[in-house]
Amino acid sequence: MSDARAAILGRVERAVRTGRIPNATTRHDTGASADGGVEERPTDDRVGGDPESERGDATRVALQERFVLEARALGVETYVEPTVTAVCDRLRTLVAGLRVLTWNPELLPYDCGSIVEGALVGSSPRGEQARAEVGVTACHGAIAETGSLALLSGPGCSRTVSLLPPVHVAVVRPDDLFETMGHFFAARAAALAQSSSCTFVTGPSRTADIELSLTIGVHGPGRVAIVFGP
Amino acid sequence: MSGGFADRARQAIGNRQLHIALDRTTAQLGLRRATGLASLDRADAVRDRARAAKMRVLQTLADSLRQFEARLVDGGAHVHWAETGADANRIIVDIAAKAGVRRVAKSKSMASEETHLNGAFERAGIAVVETDLGEYIVQLAGDRPSHIIMPIVHMTRQQVGRVMEQRLAVPYSDDTQTLARYARARLRDEFLEADMGLTGANFGVVENGTICLVTNEGNGRMVTTLPRVHVVLMGIEKLVPTMGDLDRFVKLLTRSATGQKLTAYTTLLRGPRRSGDACGPEEMHVVLLDNGRSQILAGETAEILGCIRCGACLNACPVYRTVGGHAYGDVYPGPVGAIVTPGIRGLEQFAELPSASSLCGACREVCPVRLDIPRMLLALRQQAVERTPQPAALRVGLKLFARVASRPRIYRLAAAIARRMLRIRARHGWIRRAPGMASAWTRYRDLKAPAAETFESIWRRRAGAARKP
Repeated sequence: MSDARAAILGRVERAVRTGRIPNATTRHDTGASADGGVEERPTDDRVGGDPESERGDATRVALQERFVLEARALGVETYVEPTVTAVCDRLRTLVAGLRVLTWNPELLPYDCGSIVEGALVGSSPRGEQARAEVGVTACHGAIAETGSLALLSGPGCSRTVSLLPPVHVAVVRPDDLFETMGHFFAARAAALAQSSSCTFVTGPSRTADIELSLTIGVHGPGRVAIVFGP
Repeated sequence: MSGGFADRARQAIGNRQLHIALDRTTAQLGLRRATGLASLDRADAVRDRARAAKMRVLQTLADSLRQFEARLVDGGAHVHWAETGADANRIIVDIAAKAGVRRVAKSKSMASEETHLNGAFERAGIAVVETDLGEYIVQLAGDRPSHIIMPIVHMTRQQVGRVMEQRLAVPYSDDTQTLARYARARLRDEFLEADMGLTGANFGVVENGTICLVTNEGNGRMVTTLPRVHVVLMGIEKLVPTMGDLDRFVKLLTRSATGQKLTAYTTLLRGPRRSGDACGPEEMHVVLLDNGRSQILAGETAEILGCIRCGACLNACPVYRTVGGHAYGDVYPGPVGAIVTPGIRGLEQFAELPSASSLCGACREVCPVRLDIPRMLLALRQQAVERTPQPAALRVGLKLFARVASRPRIYRLAAAIARRMLRIRARHGWIRRAPGMASAWTRYRDLKAPAAETFESIWRRRAGAARKP
């Protein structure tokens, strides 16, 4: 096994001496680019930038508007609720009469935990989780640019909750918003390092494998609802 | 797959179903890509930076691989190195045997197609099921994928309906929603019962050992969440330096492939489940596959290792759009396949592929990392000619042509004779059958008769007239 490792690395080291690998800089690479002379925004790049702009340049309200616009375009139901009571009422309506699988209730914001108290959680038997009709989560980040939810796995935050049931409901705080995935990576590097997985959920499960015809809800949830609180 | 590219292409051109299916999809995908890229802020600069990052990784590949390996091990994953496809299969079957695996659920992986992993599992008595909808249908039909991201681009919905009717004993349907529901119902149990999940990797991040999977259906999440063992099979070239680069590459990949700003699921994995996790694999293995890549890296086509497998060059290529993916004879079709396939399988066996291009450059235009595909195709053509003895008639003919073409007087005379002869053969301005070696041209199309007067002589006559007072 280590023989293969040494052989491959040796070949690779020799290869780069003869291989034709073009030089890394090209025409749009410098500040003076052909598409208007502006370089790609530096904030897209970097880890641990200025804390004032760690979520991006836009205000929270603008980020939320952008998020809602992008998510709706993908067929996500979005609700922006003005009060904690309204958030709880909304969640109650969305899960009413359904078998619920949830992140551990204490991890849900706005006291939503009490609504799903006693429901299935990630540590419940797999077979029972598979029969759940709705999954309830919070999120670790909401990416405005693409209308995506970032979900890290960890204690109480099972990946199955947003995956197995046909419906996924997420309760999101405006504080969770980031402009781009790059901003999220930078601001949450420590949390990312502690977690074995991070999934960006962008709309319902979909396929276009058959004649490019859009089909919703193949293996993951076919319906995604996002409730923003105050 | 028998015969060469030309035989397979001829068959494909005669296949009406294939043309319906290809027409419906390739043009549409091209349009979606254009719209998708238009939604990307400063797309040109993003492409340049992505290209620069890829080339930097290739230039420092050995060090990048060492660092990537170290970070994976930090995260609790096991790393394996496979020199060939057969080695990779053996390693993966061994992992399965040691862990007592009986059922494997696969997410879409081109690398596993390349190594023919399914056959290796079956020979070892391990059940394996493809869970990407397109790949599942390919498996049910005993077919082969014909597109990098759209495996059944060559099939119509009616064909898919008949495959499911026969293999799953369900009522025939040509409604895609119904067909997807059949697959969901059938594959749900596979996910829950599988002992091992197998995936490829869209990207591996050098700085922290992250494996990134870009998917839409949710099967990729299922097979990395539910089974107790997860194996990643990835080529050694799939690395990007940092998380900032990953952000850029994901943006380019999804837009170039399907026009989406982001696919439904972008999954970042950093090892097996950790203490307190209620799900995720207990073991994670990453198999790094060479299989000819280090050899490609040593040559004229090293740049192709920057390919992120978006499939945009397939959709843009007039040859691919006419003959489809199967004509290319291996798992990677289209312009990228015409370079990668000779690289990993040997140029001798696939010497025709680099010529399956008009060198129009559409592939280079759409490539998110601006790979100079036409240049590499030309380099491979040159190698193919240098390595294989050419027919005497061709060698002598070309030498003769070189002599004539480099002597203006003789060239003009020869051209005048040829022009006159062709005009004599023409009927209504077209030649239906050309003589001698030129008959290959007219086998499938007519040749336009040359004009009575050459451009050169018109130019000289007019220039002369203009000079006169």
